This record gives sequence, C-alpha cells and structure tokens, in this order.
Amino acid sequence: MSAVGDAVLYEAVGVSKSYGSVEALLDVDFKLHSGEVVGLVGDNGAGKSTLVKVLSGVHPPDSGKLVLEGVERHWASPHEALAAEIETLYQDAGLAPHLSIGANVFLGREILRPGILGRLGFMAQRQMDRAALHELAQVGIEIQGSRKTVAELSGGQRQAVAIGRAVAWARKVLLLDEPTNHLGARQALEVLEVIRKARDRGLGVVFISHTLPHVLQVCDRIVVLRLGRVVRDAPTSEFDAESLLGTITGLLEAS
Amino acid sequence: MVTSTGAVAPAGRRPGGAVRSMVRGLVGNQQFMLLIALAALVAYFTARAPVFLSNGELANILTDFCSLILLGIGETYVIASGGIDLSVGSATSLSGVVGAFAMRSLLGSHQGEALVLFVGTLVCVSIGLAIGLTNAALINWARLVPFVATLAMLGGAAGLAIVISNGEPIGLDPRAISLTTAKLGPFSYPSLVVIAIVAACWLSLHLTRYGRYTFAIGSNEFAARAAGIDVRRHVTSVYALSGALAGLAGMFVYMRLGSGAPTAGLNDELQAIAAVVIGGASLYGGVARMSGTVLGTLIITTVTSGLIISNVQANWDQVAVALLIAAAAAMQALRPARRA
Repeated sequence: MSAVGDAVLYEAVGVSKSYGSVEALLDVDFKLHSGEVVGLVGDNGAGKSTLVKVLSGVHPPDSGKLVLEGVERHWASPHEALAAEIETLYQDAGLAPHLSIGANVFLGREILRPGILGRLGFMAQRQMDRAALHELAQVGIEIQGSRKTVAELSGGQRQAVAIGRAVAWARKVLLLDEPTNHLGARQALEVLEVIRKARDRGLGVVFISHTLPHVLQVCDRIVVLRLGRVVRDAPTSEFDAESLLGTITGLLEAS
Repeated sequence: MVTSTGAVAPAGRRPGGAVRSMVRGLVGNQQFMLLIALAALVAYFTARAPVFLSNGELANILTDFCSLILLGIGETYVIASGGIDLSVGSATSLSGVVGAFAMRSLLGSHQGEALVLFVGTLVCVSIGLAIGLTNAALINWARLVPFVATLAMLGGAAGLAIVISNGEPIGLDPRAISLTTAKLGPFSYPSLVVIAIVAACWLSLHLTRYGRYTFAIGSNEFAARAAGIDVRRHVTSVYALSGALAGLAGMFVYMRLGSGAPTAGLNDELQAIAAVVIGGASLYGGVARMSGTVLGTLIITTVTSGLIISNVQANWDQVAVALLIAAAAAMQALRPARRA
C-alpha cells in the first residue's frame, strides 16, 4: 500500500447542492487521501450520487469548494475533471450500449491513426480493440471479443466493462457509484479485489454501495450521509454491520 | 479475475453449417435485403414500362437522387445522434429561393456562368447552415426537443420562402436553365459533388472520431458527456451539417428547375427520414448506416419515379413512401432484439 500521508488528495469543503426545492447536499465536508478507499453510504436520497456528480464535474456545487491536491478547482464539465485525472463510474449510466466494448473503453480517448489519416480523425480501431481487452485484463476483467456491442452483454458483463474502463484509466481519483450492482456474489468479490488493487496503486477510491458487507470489507474509512448531511465519518474499524446500519437509518443517533 | 459469465471461448464452426450460416447471415443482413428489394423494384417497374431503364429516365432518377441523398446524409448524422431534423425540406426551399435571387442579380449583370454557380452554391449553403445553427441553438440553449425545434424551423423557413418570393418561382430565366446542364466530362456538376460528399461522409460516420461521438451521443448522451465529449458542440455541428447539406440540395433543385421555387423541398424531410429509416437507422439514436441511407434513397427515388412512369396518379407516391416507412420500421421491430 502506498503511503497514506496526511496530505488530502481530493476534498469537498462545505458543499451544498439543491435541485429546485430539494436540498440534495447540505454543507458537506468530504476528504479523500491517496491509497485510501472511502465508503460513501446512506439510504436512498441521502445524496450519495449527487456528491459523486459534484466531485466528477457533472454538477457544479451551489456553494462550497472542491480542492484537488491543495488547489481549489471549478469543473465546468466532466471533461475538465477527467483531464485532472478524476475517473468516475456512474451508476447504470456509464456505457453507450450501441457501441462496441472497445469503443466504450476508449470513448473520449480514441486512438487515432498515424499520419494524415489521424489528423483527419480516422481511428485506429483494431489497436483500440486489442488494447481494450488488454486494459480490461490488466485490472482483472476477462471478456472475449471486444467488437461485440455492449447491448449484447449481460448486466454483469456490462458492469465489468464499466468498472474495467474506470479502473484502467484512473490515475489519481476513482469514484465508483454502485460498482457491484448487477453482479453475482463471486463477481462482486472479484470487483472488491480490483478496488483493493487500485488502492494499492496509490489511487484514492470512493466506493458507494448499498451492500454494507462489501463496504465493511473493502473500505478504510466510511462516510455516512443522511438527507444530504454527513452524519458520521470514521475509520471502518469503528463500525460493525449493526452500527453501520443504525447510523444510516438514524436509529443509532441518540446513542 | 472477473470472468464474465456467458462469454465462453468462441465455439468452433461446425463443418457443413457454413453454407447455412452464410444464407442466414445474408437474410439477416439488412443491406443485402435492401439490395434485393431495390433490384426487385427496378425489375417490376421495367416490366411495367420498359422506358424505365432508358438513359433519360435513369438520368432523372439520378437527379432526384442527388438532392434527396444530401438530405438523407444530414439526416443520418442527426438520427444517429438521437435527434431528428424536420426542417431540411424547408431549408432546401428557402436556400433555393435566396440563392435564386442572388444568381438572378448576377446573371442580370452578365457575370460568367462559373461565378454564378459558385456564388449561388455559396449562398444556398450559407442559408442552410444558418438554419441548421438556429436548430442547434433552439435545442442546446432554448432546450427544445429536436422534434419541436426543427418543426418550428420547418414552418418558419417554409413561410419565409413564400413571403420573400411572393409565392412565385424566382429566376426562371433561359440563362438560368443553361446552368442546369453544367457538366464536367460525362458527369453533371451535382453528381460529382454528391459522389464526393457521400464518400467523405461514409468514411467520417463509420471510421472517424467525429462519427464515433455522433453514435455515442445518440446511444447514451450522459455516457458521452461523462466521457468528456462536448455534447453541445457536437450536436451543434451535426445540425449545422444537416442544414448546410440541405442548402446545397436547394442549389441542386434550382439547377434542376432553373428557378428557386418556394415549395421545391415540400415534404422532402419525410422522404429523407424514410430513406434513413429504411436504411436501418433507429429513430431512438445510436444506430445508422450510410450505406443503408444510400440504398434507402435509391429505393425511394426508384419508387417515386417508377410510379410516375407507370402512369400512376402523382399523389400516390406519398402513399408509397409511407408504406415503405411502415415496412422498414416493422422490419426493425421484428429483427432479433439487440436493445440496451
């Protein structure tokens, strides 16, 4: 594991975000270090996905600030966050179903052909297809035939491709919104292993899941959101299944 | 290892099954079926009226094809990106009328033919481009859905064409008619331009990053944006392209008629959309084929010309096109599910 220094890799400070009259996030502070997996948990509507979309540049926060490696950043688009090496797996929305696996893995990062053809925008499709399988294999995901369209894959395979793409491209920050959705029990465990490897490469990983055993298994620290607020931020060792559930639902608040 | 369930190693082909699987492949191949349909239509119309295969008639079909395919190409990009452009017919009319005004004044001052053609083309394409950019502005900034934005533009551009032309064809002038025979070798000027544009757009749609982004946006706009694609800019360029090509079609129609008629492109958007859908595109976006659009356009121009030659009352061709759309859409619905 790379050094978990005190230096914060990526941070949200006092972030609020509302959609119309719905306050999705209220004055949220969130810290992520290199080489750390932070679990982000909460009930439906707690604001987990909203926080991910703020961190990944999809939505600008209404107030508060984002700080990457000590520098305050304002993302005008996900493109800028990507360029700053913040990679995101969005819940159920990350892939273009009509495109091939190779095209999806390289979407937005197409390899162009050398020379004049490349200048004209011609893509090196074979090279991308081959590299896509290689990249997916690198992070432990085996899929045959990268020319298949994503629509032809099963839910689990799609999720595997989406995770593989995010992990393969991630350089600093990796945001994973429900990565173990649609996966069978064994596949989910394999994904957790992929996440651990990503952490060991020194990435800061945010892991969102409803499956609390997964969260307890893989995370170093857990942040609990309820109705848009952070209600608990503590090392995983301070939680067990029962206390985590209690914190999420608010039944433990009094104690 | 996340070994995806179901993705087994490619199974060895059983010997003897090759022919059967080839036949099944061909029947399942929409392009191939379109070719068969086209051949059948040509055979049918030739049997009804042998003059159908004469040089003069083929030239007519080719002329119709040249303007319709331009609309179809633009529409292919738009539909692949998950949108629709209903304004292309009106854009053809309006740009033809404005272009005709420009060319009439140039002819009035006795300019050379090449200059007149050049300026006319430039004016027509600019008008079409302006219409396309307006569509994009309505979609991207006024947040209208493409159907509504381009429907508004269909009405607006068609109305404007009638207002500024007073409802009359502009520039019916013997010298304008002489422009229509402009040729380079055996090829008419429009057919050369069309060949070049079809080839370029074919490559661009299927082999370049531009085409890839077009499909990605039509397939899953959120995924495209999340992957860092500037969706607004891309959508703008797609409608601009569609508009500019419709403007060029306006010039071609002018060259065919020798005048800019305010109703020249009436209902052409329906034929263009039909051609794209017949060619295998999905109106939900993410799926389209340039080869399919070319074949679809050939089928539509064959049917409309064939009906005229067979002395069927002219208005039946709209009914025929409607039937073609229904058939193509049904074919899509019946094809094995490959949906998300």
